[in-house]
Amino acid sequence: MMLTIKDLQASVEEKTIIKGLNLTINPGEVHAIMGPNGAGKSTLGYVLSGREGYEVESGSIQFENQDLLEMEVDERARAGIFLAFQYPVEIPGVSNMEFMKESVNAARKERGEEPLSAAEFLKTAKAACKQVNLPLDFLKRGVNEGFSGGEKKRNEIMQMILLQPKLCILDESDSGLDIDALKVVADGVNSQRDGERSFLVVTHYQRLLDYIQPDYVHILADGKIVKSGGPELAKEVEVSGYAWLEGHEEASA
Amino acid sequence: MSQWLAKVIDRASTVKDSLSPVRQTALATLSEQSWPTRRTEAWRYTSLHEVAELELQQPSANANAEAPVIAGLNSIDLVFVDAQPVTDIAKLTLPAGVSINALNDADSQASRVFNQAKPSHHLFGLVNDVLAQQGLVVDVAAGAQVEQPIRIVNFVTDGVESHHRVLVNVGDNAKVTVIEHGAGNGHSMNTAYAEYVLGKESKLEHYRFAMHGENAIHMGGSHFKMGESSRLNSTIVGYGSRLTRIDTDVIHAAEHAFAKMNCIYLLAPKEHFDLHTTIEHAKPNGTSEENARGIVGDKAKAVFNGRIHIHRDAQKTLAELNNRNLLLSRGGQINTKPELEIYADDVQCAHGATVAEIAEKELYYLQTRGIPRSQALVMLNFGFVQELVNQMPNKALSEWLQPLLRERFSAMETK
Ligand SMILES: Nc1ncnc2c1ncn2[C@@H]1O[C@H](COP(=O)(O)OP(=O)(O)OP(=O)(O)O)[C@@H](O)[C@H]1O
Ligand SMILES: [Mg+2]
Repeated sequence: MMLTIKDLQASVEEKTIIKGLNLTINPGEVHAIMGPNGAGKSTLGYVLSGREGYEVESGSIQFENQDLLEMEVDERARAGIFLAFQYPVEIPGVSNMEFMKESVNAARKERGEEPLSAAEFLKTAKAACKQVNLPLDFLKRGVNEGFSGGEKKRNEIMQMILLQPKLCILDESDSGLDIDALKVVADGVNSQRDGERSFLVVTHYQRLLDYIQPDYVHILADGKIVKSGGPELAKEVEVSGYAWLEGHEEASA
Repeated sequence: MSQWLAKVIDRASTVKDSLSPVRQTALATLSEQSWPTRRTEAWRYTSLHEVAELELQQPSANANAEAPVIAGLNSIDLVFVDAQPVTDIAKLTLPAGVSINALNDADSQASRVFNQAKPSHHLFGLVNDVLAQQGLVVDVAAGAQVEQPIRIVNFVTDGVESHHRVLVNVGDNAKVTVIEHGAGNGHSMNTAYAEYVLGKESKLEHYRFAMHGENAIHMGGSHFKMGESSRLNSTIVGYGSRLTRIDTDVIHAAEHAFAKMNCIYLLAPKEHFDLHTTIEHAKPNGTSEENARGIVGDKAKAVFNGRIHIHRDAQKTLAELNNRNLLLSRGGQINTKPELEIYADDVQCAHGATVAEIAEKELYYLQTRGIPRSQALVMLNFGFVQELVNQMPNKALSEWLQPLLRERFSAMETK
């Protein structure tokens, strides 16, 4: 098992957002999560990453053989969890290059490998930059500083490619992208599918899932997974939206 | 008047050189000064009680030292120890258009620049006026494009009080880089003032590094009189030391001058750093951009006072002033105050001051990429200072400074 979430209940600012969530992801699988605004999709990502202020009230999260809830944010990352943010933060003053080099070397250190020299890293970074179709000067700029929405998303995918994580959580990596950029992001993700690496893809649009074929699609509403299925579920949502949820929740209540 | 200041005034009467006539005016002003207290506006957050009782020795004549090596800088170096000259100016090969003389050399005609840029209200500036016998007068001829930086290094040593003065005249259309580098430690007190007169359409790249150790007391200033359409790009880097006070004045004495000033201060625990900057927009169409950024360690104290004075005539002035601070612990202290006096109506003036604590959101982002919290802290907090280091036009200097400041900062973090 890659990830096992059991009966997760989590809150922000004393408000319960995740209300009993169960999810199991096996190595190599791609799971898509869809659901209305405010359902708790991003919150789930934050909880998995270990963000401060996101209290786990009950339940458990197992990552490989480790108790994820016992680990610090950076430990989780080095263990192989990667979260591509819906709204990546800008950090002027820290160059993208320096940032990525330090993160890659932190991962290498964890694996007992020697750090990459500046020259070695530059080579790898250039290739990754090319892969997500960002000009090379983006490496020199401050982290996400002044990047357009789409550029920020591609920058996240570039980091994913560089860090080679085990579980990639993509929070709306497709929103705000033009058609070409959407393809770039999808290709970036697909290039990382190797039968071992797993993906949790949060999206509002069926379109991304045309490119990244998910194994499972889950509907997250009001802090719970209310429906799971195959790729066809995404198509259903595209056609009929979430109006049916009302009835569903009443039925399950 | 303090005991120390009374002795300064006594000693001033023994100073006799070609500058004596102009020193007299300063002495008269100094004699009327009362010793600052906490109620004195310019010294509100900086106590001078330690200076009031100082009893240090005069510098000895035969000192020796070498300028710190900075890879790729290739500068003309003038070294002083406790303001006493080490470098033999006569032996230097100077670029075309540059002449350098000792301050006390009658040929230097120091009075052309002396007190032309520095206003008379700086107490320790006045002390320097009456006591500084050592220093330099640098002349850059009109039109000279001097690529090789001129670096003036002054080391302080234990137990010594010293006074150093630099006077620089940049001719019309000339271009030059001057680095004032103060270093050293020990229980010492020094004043170091520099004045720059910029000719029409001249360009000055200026650096002041006040890197004194935790026992030193350093009082100084860099003052600039801007000629028509002249350009100044200045970077000031300060450590706190036991007490460091720096005053700068940029005087837009003619139209269309442009002045950029970046200030960086990194205060180790318990250090004290006080920076007072003034931009005088006396003439129209001037531009000034000033950014001061500092990191304040535990129990350290930073004072920043940024004054912009836009005179009634100075229409179409553009002035920006920004001060950002990061407090590493609740035990540190920052007093920051922009002081705007605007008497012209058609101007653009923006200012801001912030005091931040550790930015958790950015820290989290770095951590989600596997970077340990302690390292992320350094990356983030240094980044905000690094931005200004990167803006230094001289790459050899910024590459030298980068690791130096980073190291200093990590030492502050893991205290
Ligand atoms: N710091 C906070 N304080 C209070 N409420 C919060 C906080 N953070 C999130 N929430 C609330 O939690 C709920 C879930 O937010 P979340 O961002 O997880 O939604 P989402 O499913 O990602 O929505 P979207 O599709 O719009 O991205 C929302 O109602 C949001 O307002
Ligand atoms: Mg969201």
